[in-house]
Amino acid sequence: MSKTKLLPIFKKGLWENHPTFRQLLGMCPTLAVTTSALNGLSMGLAVMFVLVFSTFIVSLIRRLVPAQVRIAVYTIIIATFVTIADIFLKANFPQVSKDLGPYVPLIVVNCIILGRCEAFASKNTPLKSVIDALGISSGFLWGLMLLGSIREFFGSGSIFGITLLAKGFKPLIVMILPAGAFLVLGFLVSLINFIEKRMKKC
Amino acid sequence: MLKDLALIFISAVLTNNFVLTYFLGICPFLGVSGQMESAWGMGTAVTFVMTLSSAICWVFYHFILVKFNIIFLEYVVFILVIASLVQIVEMFIRKFSPPLYEMLGIYLPLITTNCAILGMALFMVTKKYGFIESVVFGFSAGLGFSLVLIIMAGIREELKYADVPKNFQGAGITLITAGILALIFMGFSGITS
Amino acid sequence: MRTLKIILTLALTCIFSAGVLSLSDKLAEHKIKENQKKAINQAIFKMIKQAAKIQALAGKKIQIYKAFDKNGHTAGFAFIAEGSGYQGKISILCATDVSFRKLLGIEIIESMETPGLGARISEDWFKQQFRGLSVLKPITYGKKADLNNNQIQAITGATISSRSVVRIINNAMKKAEKTAKNEQN
Repeated sequence: MSKTKLLPIFKKGLWENHPTFRQLLGMCPTLAVTTSALNGLSMGLAVMFVLVFSTFIVSLIRRLVPAQVRIAVYTIIIATFVTIADIFLKANFPQVSKDLGPYVPLIVVNCIILGRCEAFASKNTPLKSVIDALGISSGFLWGLMLLGSIREFFGSGSIFGITLLAKGFKPLIVMILPAGAFLVLGFLVSLINFIEKRMKKC
Repeated sequence: MLKDLALIFISAVLTNNFVLTYFLGICPFLGVSGQMESAWGMGTAVTFVMTLSSAICWVFYHFILVKFNIIFLEYVVFILVIASLVQIVEMFIRKFSPPLYEMLGIYLPLITTNCAILGMALFMVTKKYGFIESVVFGFSAGLGFSLVLIIMAGIREELKYADVPKNFQGAGITLITAGILALIFMGFSGITS
Repeated sequence: MRTLKIILTLALTCIFSAGVLSLSDKLAEHKIKENQKKAINQAIFKMIKQAAKIQALAGKKIQIYKAFDKNGHTAGFAFIAEGSGYQGKISILCATDVSFRKLLGIEIIESMETPGLGARISEDWFKQQFRGLSVLKPITYGKKADLNNNQIQAITGATISSRSVVRIINNAMKKAEKTAKNEQN
């Protein structure tokens, strides 16, 4: 297999098939943990870990699993890796684990992961599946970080905890409240639509 | 006791609404809120499964996971319980109540990956609820989900006739509407204290 | 034959999953417990300056810690106060002086309050108001802090969270005092 074949698979997840802005998948962590850029980064990495390993295993055993129980088997595999990620965070990054709270275990029902296992990994080789998983999760990661940075900037006047706005700045608390999450994402999705249309015209 | 239950109820339906404050069940919230009829179907199905799974997950957690000290299997067990429950409910109502099946049938398989259900089971554990409290919590969370879903469907049916800027059409305007709805629900905060 | 294959696949997946998880749980269990202990110890060291060693006492209703200075004398006490806040459980570590009369400070160990509003209970200015308050009478809250009346200033826009913190500490103080008194005698 040549490299030229793998690169497009990876790139697809970054823009064309972007999980957040295009497919509107995996919405609950996207909205819930993006109160700061750092939270977005940690959630993105956790999802990347789970996605890469689950799709790899699913792709390895794709010929062995009977069709009737494949969803159940995929779900168990995903839940296993989510638990590993959860235990790892608790042991090594207790603060991150505290900040993300119940949204780490909720990766189990993140539709991006089951969706990728079913739509891609169950039909492709392990190598392709891993590349696809890396592409999709990188796309998810930049989406989360962008959303987190915007909300942290307006809501707390900083990005990655570094204060950027002067002392006199009164933070727009609504940005880090749940309502702000919906509003910012709504505008971002519309903006991406706009950019896409512009690009097509050119 | 009754006061505690009332508090759980109001909190799960209004002040700590699953969709608008915890962002649980966003996928169906965006997906099936286009029409009133499907919103009712989905709402009923979720409330039903949520109430049942709160009871069953509680029993599994306290009598199996805690008893045998295998709490680290929590996520795997919960998701399996929910998935099998959805299957059983589907088979059951298909056999015994065809009209109900016609109404809920297509929504049931979607429920397994509804994060509101797993979220409810996880919250029930972290909040250390007893059996009755858990069932009330599950029921009220489902009710809160349905309430928001139905309100949203009502708004979106009207929105069809509104002149929305082109780039905002579809997901954009839906998310912004949800944001405004979340702001409105913040008005309920403080009710429970 | 087909049913057998289905059952076998599911069973194998479950066994594999349980095996992997129990292994990773074994590996991490110790470290997770250690982390929790370390977080509490550090918070106590921060509030009780002379503390050099911390011992957990077996309190019946409440977890109490006794701090010793480097000469082995009692340097103060700390206890964990828990209760429900605006969104969920709040867990607060409170430190007192040797005689169990004055608060030396509080640290928020766990809270699920609204970011930007209720979550401000974790801000330093709010926590520092508790330093020097009397443990013998209930703490109150108002628009201004007043040390003589045992009063703290509530957070604007987050009265419920502020009130919850005060109530949780007041409730825990009563429970903690008894255990601590027994220990002193």
